[in-house]
Amino acid sequence: MLAPSILFNIGSFPVTNTLITTLVIDLIIVAFVVAFNVSMSLYPKGIQNILEVVYEYFYNSTKDVSNKVKVIYPWVITFFLFIVIANLLGQFPGFESIRFITSSGENVPLFRTATSDLNVTIAFAVISIFMCHFYSIKYTGIKSYISRFITFKMFPIFMFVGFLEFIGEFTKVISLSCRLFGNLFAGESVMSTVSGMCAFGLPLPFMCLELMVAVIQAIVFAMLTMAFMSIMIEKH
Amino acid sequence: MEIITNIINLFGLETKLFIAQIINFAILLFILKKFLYKPIAKIFEERQAKIKQGLEDAQNAHKTLLDANNQKADILKTARINADKILNNTKVSSEKMKQQSLEDAKKQATEIIDNAKKQAQDEFDKISKQVGLMSVDLSKKIVSKVLSEIFTEEDKSIILSKAVDKIENGSYENTTN
Repeated sequence: MLAPSILFNIGSFPVTNTLITTLVIDLIIVAFVVAFNVSMSLYPKGIQNILEVVYEYFYNSTKDVSNKVKVIYPWVITFFLFIVIANLLGQFPGFESIRFITSSGENVPLFRTATSDLNVTIAFAVISIFMCHFYSIKYTGIKSYISRFITFKMFPIFMFVGFLEFIGEFTKVISLSCRLFGNLFAGESVMSTVSGMCAFGLPLPFMCLELMVAVIQAIVFAMLTMAFMSIMIEKH
Repeated sequence: MEIITNIINLFGLETKLFIAQIINFAILLFILKKFLYKPIAKIFEERQAKIKQGLEDAQNAHKTLLDANNQKADILKTARINADKILNNTKVSSEKMKQQSLEDAKKQATEIIDNAKKQAQDEFDKISKQVGLMSVDLSKKIVSKVLSEIFTEEDKSIILSKAVDKIENGSYENTTN
């Protein structure tokens, strides 16, 4: 099933299983932050090591591609942390197996991988691309920003290139969201099918594959955001 | 239009859910920025400063060690030179003292020998004088005994006095010689 299952409604607001998972992810991230702040020390140990490694990796990667590192890196790391936790959480027991009976009597899973919901991935892609454009206007100026899409140099060649750039911004949203959604939804479907065929042993190689996909897709999304932002922040 | 509606329904796209996810992400970004990224950046800065300070301290310590080693070498060199100087001075002065004491000893020995010779000469003179006096007395006694049998009292007295005079003169001459 492509669409997330609606568990219940709060007024007119539908609460889906992916939204519940999103809240669980939020709690996990907040728990990490609290644990980090409690045990924060100049000599790292435990969770601080992991967070410092992630921070340093993305900070240095951003530094390599852009001079506006302090603007870009919070977005990149936040995307990575959320997506990687969301993807990995899908491999935990309880997903798909813990069921919920809706008011209409439908038996649906209580949790579902957040990134296998197109609402989530499109929201992330829109945030990513919107912030790219916002920072482009902020740091390069409106004139330079508009000249990316509308220019009369070498008319009509660059006019056409500008048009393609404009279309490209929409395709960025589609590619970012659909890549993540497709990978995770496909993985979830494969796991569900394989587990249905044989619950013991057979899902193990697929689980390993899914763990890899989970991390790779999170890195891809974060890196693409970093690349798009660094390109848009540079003067045209 | 119908196709788009079908796609939206198929994927369960919902504006409210979409906005909820955007708000959720914004809140998460705010929390992470304030409570995770800033403290990590601060820790990195502190650690970097501490490492920098540590490296500077190590460099300073190394420099101080080199200076101390150089100073030590200089002090040792000076001490060696001074020690050599003192040793040489000591050798010279001890040689001098040895020479001086040898000379003093020789001088003292000569003085002692001279004194001894003088004392021996004095003793010899004294004894010679005593022997002279004793021989005069003995001669007087011998002559008076021999003459008492040959001469009269008057002759004896004359001869005796002459003999005594002679002896006295002779002994005097011997003594003065």
